Amino acid sequence: MENLKINQEKITDQDIKRVSKRWILASQITWNYEKMMGVGYLYAMLPILRKLYKKSEDLKEMMKNHVQFFNTTPHMGGFILGIDAATEESGGKTAKEAANGIKTGLMGPFAGVGDTIFGVLLPTIFGSIAAYMGQNGNVTGVVIWLLVNIAILIFRYFTTTIGYREGTKLITSAKDKLDALTHTATLLGITVVGALIPTVVKANVAANFKTGDVTMEGQAILDQIMPSLLPVLVVAGIYFLLGKKKMTSTKAILIIMVASIVFYAIGLLA
Amino acid sequence: MEIQMWQIIALTALAFFAICENLSTSVLANQPVIIGTIAGIIMGDMKMGLAVGATLQLMILGVGTYGGSSMPDYMTGSIIGTVFAVTSGKGMDFGIGLAVPVGLLMVQLDVLARFSNVFFAKRVEAAVERMDFKAIGRNTWLGSLSWGLSRALPVFLMLIFGQNLVNLIVDYMPDWLMGGLTVAGGLLPAVGIAILLRYLPVKSYISYLLIGFFAAAYLSVPMVGVAILGTALAVIAFKQFLEKSQNVVAVNTGSAQEGLLDGEFED
Repeated sequence: MENLKINQEKITDQDIKRVSKRWILASQITWNYEKMMGVGYLYAMLPILRKLYKKSEDLKEMMKNHVQFFNTTPHMGGFILGIDAATEESGGKTAKEAANGIKTGLMGPFAGVGDTIFGVLLPTIFGSIAAYMGQNGNVTGVVIWLLVNIAILIFRYFTTTIGYREGTKLITSAKDKLDALTHTATLLGITVVGALIPTVVKANVAANFKTGDVTMEGQAILDQIMPSLLPVLVVAGIYFLLGKKKMTSTKAILIIMVASIVFYAIGLLA
Repeated sequence: MEIQMWQIIALTALAFFAICENLSTSVLANQPVIIGTIAGIIMGDMKMGLAVGATLQLMILGVGTYGGSSMPDYMTGSIIGTVFAVTSGKGMDFGIGLAVPVGLLMVQLDVLARFSNVFFAKRVEAAVERMDFKAIGRNTWLGSLSWGLSRALPVFLMLIFGQNLVNLIVDYMPDWLMGGLTVAGGLLPAVGIAILLRYLPVKSYISYLLIGFFAAAYLSVPMVGVAILGTALAVIAFKQFLEKSQNVVAVNTGSAQEGLLDGEFED
C-alpha cells in the first residue's frame, strides 16, 4: 500500500482551507438535476486531488469519481470533504471505495440533521423574529439574522478542517450530541411557531349581529371565546388541507387569496 | 413616483447577486425580509421593503429547497412587491398582492435554471476527460449564469414593462379587490405556518406549540421573549436528552453483567 503513496505531496492546513472556501462558494453554483452537487464536490476537492495523485491516469480516475452524484446540506458538506481528504491521504487510490462509502453513507444523515437545523429551525426562529419586528417597522430583527448568518458562515469555514482532523471518529462521537441538538432546536422552533400564530396572522371579523336592540360585534364575541381564535382555525384548516392528496402549498395560497376577496366582498372580514 | 433607470439596474443586479449569494455564503440567504429591506433602501423607502418582505417571509418560514425541490421564489417577489408598493403609492398590501403571483410563477424559472446547469456539468465532465483544470473551474463558475439570469431577467423585464400594467391595474382596481388583498395579506402568513407545521414533528412536540401560543396570545410576550422562553426550555431538554442517552448506554452495559449488578439496581 505504501508504494501507492510514494509521490504524494503532503496536505497542508492551507490546502484544507482552500477546499473549504471552494466548497462554500461553488458547492451549489453548478447544481443540476443529474449530478446535483457533484460538480461542486469535484471543484472543491481538486487542489487536494492534484497533490495526492501524481500519475495522470490515477488523477483522472479520481476526478471522474468525484464528479458523480452528490447531495447534502451545503452547511454540513465541509465535514464530509474533510473526512474524505483524510481517508484518501492515508489510503491513496486504494481508498477509492472507502471514500465513496463515506460520501454516500454520510450525505443522507448529514442532510437530515443539516436540513432540520440550518434549513428549517434557524430560519424559523430568526425569520419569525425578523418578520415580527419588520411588520412593526423595526429593522433590528433583520440585523440580528444577518449576524447569525455570518456566525454560521464562520462555522462552515472550519468544518472541513474539523472533518480532516477528526476523520471518521467525528461521526460516532458527535451522533448523540447532534441528536440532542436536533431535538432541542425542534422544541425551540415549535415554541416560536406557537407564538407566531396569534401575532402574525391577522383576521378581523367585520360582521355584527343584532338581537333586538343589542348589537354584538362579531370580533368581540370571538375574542371572549379565545384570543386569536380565527387565526388558529385558519392555520388548523390549512394544515388539515395540506395533508390531503393533490393539495399543494400553491393551491392553498390561491384558495386563501380567493377566500379573502370573497369574505371581504360579503362583509364578513375586514 | 416613477422608477429611475439606476434603480432598475441596481434591483436587477440585486436579484442576480441574491440567488448566487444564497447558494454560496448564504448570509443574505435569499430571505424575503432581508432582500425586501435592501430593495426598500434602493427605492428610498426601507420601511416599505421591510414590511413587504416581512409578510412574504412569514409565508415561507423554514421552507427550504431540500433535495433539489423548488419553492415559491418570494425573494424575487419581495423585490417586485416593494417596487410597486412604493411606485404605485398603494401601500404594502398592494405590493404583496403582486409579489405572491410573481413568486409562484418564478418556480418554473428555478426549475429551468437547475435544468440548464446540466449543460455546464456536461462541459465539466468533458474537461475532466481532457484533464483541463482551467475549464473545470470556468464551467463550474458559469453555473452562476443560469441561476443569476433566471432571477435577474424577469425582474428587469417586469420593472421595465410592468409600470404601465401596474398603473392600469391601479386606475381600474375596484374596492373589493383592494380590500380583499388587504385581508389576504393578513391571512397568508397562516399558509406559511401550516406548511412549516407539516415539516416539523408537531405531534410529539404539541405542548411546546401550546406554550408558545399561550405566551403570545394571553400574556402578550413579544417574539424575542418567546424565543428566550423557548431557549430556556431547550436547555433543560438538551440536558435531559443527553442524560437519557447516557443512561441507555449505562443500562446496556449493566444488562451485560446482570448477575453482578442485580442488587445495586434493586435499591
